Amino acid sequence: MKVAYIFATQRHNISYVLAKMILPQLEQKRHGVDVVGMFFFEDNNYVLVDGNPIGARLHKVAKETGMLLMGCDQCCYEREIADKLFPGVPIGCFPDLYQALAGNMPDQVITL
Amino acid sequence: MTATCREPCCSVAPRMTVAELFERGFRRSREPLRAIVGATCTSAEDNTAAFSLDIVDGRISAVGFHASCCATLIAYCEYIAEVAPGFELAIARELTAANLVASVPGVPAPKRDRAVLAIAAFRAALLAADDLQRGEPNNESRLHLRHAAP
Repeated sequence: MKVAYIFATQRHNISYVLAKMILPQLEQKRHGVDVVGMFFFEDNNYVLVDGNPIGARLHKVAKETGMLLMGCDQCCYEREIADKLFPGVPIGCFPDLYQALAGNMPDQVITL
Repeated sequence: MTATCREPCCSVAPRMTVAELFERGFRRSREPLRAIVGATCTSAEDNTAAFSLDIVDGRISAVGFHASCCATLIAYCEYIAEVAPGFELAIARELTAANLVASVPGVPAPKRDRAVLAIAAFRAALLAADDLQRGEPNNESRLHLRHAAP
C-alpha cells in the first residue's frame, strides 16, 4: 500500500511522530507501507530547512526512495524560509501537491 | 492639531516580503478591476493573470489585477501594483521579469517563472492603455504565454 502523510498540526508531530516513529522505520525499511509523499504545513516546514538534523535524515530517505517532500508555499513564505529548504525540495499548494503525486498516487492520505 | 501616529501600525513602510505582498495582493485581487483592462495571460501551468489600470495625464494612477490563487504569482502582481502608480506608460514598459525577481527576494528558483507571467499580463494592460489612447481597441481577448521572456 502507498500512503502520503500531511503534517497539518503542530504538537509533537515532527519531533516525536516523524523523528521517533516514522523516520526510524523508514530508515530501517520496516514502516510497512510505501510512503510516496509528505506535505508540511505551518511550523512543521522548519524540518525542511537545509541543515535541520531530522530533515537531513528525511531528505536522505527521500532521495533513496523517490519520496516526495513538499512544503506549503504560503507557510514557507510567511516564515521566510522558502528559499532555504534542502536542495530539490519544492514548495507548493494543493494543485502542486496533486500534480506531484499524480504519477505515484497514494492509496491513503494520512493527516497528522 | 493632531500629531502623526508613530505607532508601528502607521509609521512602518510596507514590507516587500513575499508573504506580506501576498497578504496585500490577495485583498487587491478581489477588488473590482480598474477602467482599462488588459488581456488575460495564461502560463503553461494554467496560472492566469490580468491587470487593469487607471491612467491620469499619461501616468498610471492606480493598478488592479486578478490572478490565479498562487502565492508567488499574487506577490509578484502586487509588487507591480504597488510600484507602478506614478509611472508614465513608457517607463512602466521597462519593468522586466528580471527586475521583479530581483526586487522580491525569497522566491525559490522553480517558482520565479511566475514573474514572467505577471510582467506579460502587466504589459498587456499597458498595451490596452496604448490602444485606448490611440483609439484602437485591442480585440485580443486572451494571450497565451508558453515561452519565458527575458
